[in-house]
This record gives sequence, structure tokens and C-alpha cells, in this order.
Amino acid sequence: MVDELLFFMEVLVGGLLAGTMYSLVALGFVLIFKASATFNFSQGAMVFFSVLAFCGFMQDFNIPFVLAFILAALLMVVVGLCTERLVLRPLMNASEDTVLMATIGLGYVLEGLAQAAWGVEVRRLDLGIGDFPVPWIADNLKLFISALDITAGLVAALMIIGLFLLFKYTKIGLGLRAVADDAGAASSIGIPLKHIMLLVWSAAGVVALVAGCMWGARAGVQFALVDLALKALPVLIIGGFSSIPGAIIGGLIIGAVEKVLEVYIGPFFGGAIEGWAPYVLAIFFLLYRPEGLFGEKIIRRV
Amino acid sequence: MSNNSANILDIKNIEVRYDNVILALHDVSLKVPKGKVVALLGANGAGKSTTLKAVSTMLASERGKVTNGSIEYDGNSIDKQTPSQMVGLGMVQVLEGRRCFGHLTVEENIISGAYSRKLSKGDINQELEKIYTYFIRLKERRKSQAAFTSGGEQQMIAVARAMMAKPKMLLLDEPTMGLAPQLVAEIFNIVKELNTKEGVSILLAEQNTNVALKNSDYGYIIETGRVMLDGTAESLLNDDKVKELYLGISKKGRKNFRDVLKEESLNKKSN
Repeated sequence: MVDELLFFMEVLVGGLLAGTMYSLVALGFVLIFKASATFNFSQGAMVFFSVLAFCGFMQDFNIPFVLAFILAALLMVVVGLCTERLVLRPLMNASEDTVLMATIGLGYVLEGLAQAAWGVEVRRLDLGIGDFPVPWIADNLKLFISALDITAGLVAALMIIGLFLLFKYTKIGLGLRAVADDAGAASSIGIPLKHIMLLVWSAAGVVALVAGCMWGARAGVQFALVDLALKALPVLIIGGFSSIPGAIIGGLIIGAVEKVLEVYIGPFFGGAIEGWAPYVLAIFFLLYRPEGLFGEKIIRRV
Repeated sequence: MSNNSANILDIKNIEVRYDNVILALHDVSLKVPKGKVVALLGANGAGKSTTLKAVSTMLASERGKVTNGSIEYDGNSIDKQTPSQMVGLGMVQVLEGRRCFGHLTVEENIISGAYSRKLSKGDINQELEKIYTYFIRLKERRKSQAAFTSGGEQQMIAVARAMMAKPKMLLLDEPTMGLAPQLVAEIFNIVKELNTKEGVSILLAEQNTNVALKNSDYGYIIETGRVMLDGTAESLLNDDKVKELYLGISKKGRKNFRDVLKEESLNKKSN
């Protein structure tokens, strides 16, 4: 009985922590969705692009870890700058759907650029954190939990605290929330939209880099990272597209649910339900709570 | 930047098109003297909002363009300005329909108006207190989410937010739309107070002709993108045509200035 409980705990905690990896990817989407009400289809490509550049700096140029990370983060700021200037500004008055299509195109451009610059082979990314159970926890709590999962959890927690403080207490955060509510009114009182867009896309780029590092360390830095974006979709539907806490909680739910279902119900379906269970959950949310758990309800005065 | 003329705003014969095709303004000229309140009157679709947006340069975001004529603000052409630059120059527009940031608190809404200014926390609080002296009601509600305040309060938020940018000139687009008469009076009192105490020049687009003229110094009446009549507020209030067409004190069945002009030209011919 105790063993079964322990096993369940292990599955649950492992799932929750793995879920934070989804949360990290989803965070990038939320940032951009908040400011421009657009689902950024290029987010997956940004993850791939940023972490591949990070690896490239380290492995091809022998730049030390920290410096390479800073360079990659700066590169993502440049990508944000170019995106604002070359994609968003010309589409300033275009409909949200047009911007959505543009992000799909942007995704292809980033994928292509990344592979042109750094090659197509799978790279190994060693963060110095192993993807194996932490001995101390295994000995004392009898739970086998990966060190990488724990790191991802901590990183996600730090990111959410940082972003929360940024949004709530800084001037630029106030500007961003104002733009998210009503871009026209924001520009009428002198909030420069282009600065806000630049900030948001750069922040999303850096978040993509962090998410990419975590996933790259687990699965190798490879083209398949682009498809990670798909896993973020159910996370966003459950958490709400415009909520940062929602992205975190949504990720935790998806992570936990898919692992628990896989272990306990999976065998009845012949396994591998991890792949589709989150989408089923997402469909239920779409039916009964389309704004997600934490999404902003559209407030209407009656 | 020195401007010795008496007008803070000088619009000369502007023509505005949307999407390069739709002609919204044919020929509008108007002047706003420094420190005065000028009313821009007309029915729906007459071109009031378009005129204001041409001035605040917000037309571009709606695919509109001034295709002819010129606009001078504080002695300089506004040709190449962006909306945020205009705010920096002291010209702020309060958009039609209030447009508060619904998910922000009342106070956050107002503070957001100071975005273009470099102010310390202390300065902002000082400015806030000053603003609250005009909008006493908002101080009580400052922690509420703006979306849950009443229509009148939202209008006050929008004006207070604009005042935080320390404007020399305010463009108010239908500030009393959908408000009860008592609130209309309250809003106009505040506007008048801001004008006299803060010295803000005001260009006011309104459908509510009577109240607007009573609170203005000068008025322009536009119809289908043209200025039909202008004069001091007093003279317009006493003008027979204005009384008939805009104040509902009707004698004949004429509906707008075009009918009046047509009739007058017919009379001329028959004479």
C-alpha cells in the first residue's frame, strides 16, 4: 500500500515538474498574446533558433557557458527588434489574422536561418544538470525525481516571479497592460506601441531561450523542438491565453494529468496516451470554460 | 517652438480620405485660440471624429490621411508627427467611447496617462492628488477595476488620464455620449474648470449642441465633411438656423443645412 502511494506520488511529482517544462514554452506565447492578441506560431521556431544559437556559440566558437547564454539572449533581443521593425510595424493596422499568418511565415524564416547558420545535426546540450534522479531525494523520500525536472521547476518559478514584478510594478509593465487592454487608447495617451512590442518580443525570445535550454538538455537540440509549440496549445487553452499564472498552472495540470493517465489508464488503451490526452482535456475546457482557468473574461458592463 | 499667434490650433482647408478613396472631410478650416473652448458640432458621420483624429495624427492607424490642406499646432505643422509625439508636444485626445483600460484599476488608468513624461514616483503621486481635486469621485473609487465603474466615471477616468499627460490642449470626442443630464453637467463643469484653472485649450466634438455651446467660447457646425457655419457660442445659440436644425426649435420641415442652402438659392432665383 505504502509502495503504491509512493509510486503514485512519484508519478504525480514527476508529471508536475515535467509540466513546468511545458509552462516555460507557454509563457512565451502568453507574453505575445497579451500585447498583440495574436497566437505567435513562430514561438516554437524561436525556441529552436535561440537554443541552437546558444549551442553554436559554445560548441563552434568555444565561448564560455555564461557568456554564450548572454550572447544568445542578446541575439533574441535583436530578433525581437527585427520582428518589430520588419514584420509588426508594416502590419500595424492589419487585422489580427494577418499578423497570425505573418508569425507562421516568421517561424519558417527563423527555422531556416538557424539551420543555415548552425547546420542540421542534433546537438547535445550539457547544462551540467543530469536528467536522472537526485540521490538525496531518492534516499530520503524514496521518490525518483529528475534533477533536470527540479531545475525546470525552479526556473519556471523564478520567471513567473520576475514577470509578475515587471508587469505589476514597473512603468513599462503598466504600459504593456494598457496596450493589452486597448492599443488605440494607449497610443492616444502617448504610450509608444513600438517600444512595447519590442519589449514583448524580446522577452518572449529570452523565455524561448530558457525553455529551449531545458528541452535541449533533455531531448537534444534538434528540429523537433519546433513542434514543442504544439504541446503549449493545450496548456494555454487550460490556463488561459492571457495569463502568466495560467501558463504555469496549465503546464502543471497537463504534465500531471498526462503522466498519471499514462501510467494508470494507458495500459487499457495500449499505452502512449500521453500524446493525445492533453488535447482531450483541452477540448473539455473549450466546451465548458473557453477562457481557461485564469484567462481574462471579457468584462462587459450591463 | 515659439508661437506668437493667438491660436494654438489652426486647421486650414483640410481634406481627409480613408483608404485613399472614401472622402470623409471635404473642406474643414477651424481655429482654436489659446486658452479657449471651441465646440465642433454636427450629427453622426458629419466628420467630427475625423477632424479630431486628423489633429492628433491618429488617422494613420485607421488608414486615413490628410490629403489636402494643413494643420498647425502651436505654430508648427503636424505633418510628420506620430500620436505619441503629439502627446509629448502637449496635445492629447480623449477618444470617443471613453476607452478605459478595463482590467486596470482606476488609479492605474490615470497614472498610465503620465507614461510619456519622465516623473519620479513622488511627482506622480503629487500630480495624482492634483488630478483628484478635479475628479473627487474617482479618488473614492481608485482601487476598483475600471471596467466595473459607471459610464460617467469611465468618462472622468478618460479625461483624468489625459490630464496626467499635462496637455496644453485637449481634444474631447463626445464626452457626454450616453450619459444622464446630471452627469453631462458634471462633466462639463470639470472641463470648464480644467480650462480656466489649468489653462488647457479645448476642442470639443459634441452632438449635444445646446450644452456644448453653453460651455464654449466659439462653435463650428459641420455637415458631410464641410463647415457650414461658425461663430461665437452666443451668436450660434441665437441663430435661427441653428435653433431650427440643432436645437429642435423647428418652424419648417427642413432637416439640414443643405436643405436651407437649396431653399435660399431657390429664393434668390425667384427674386
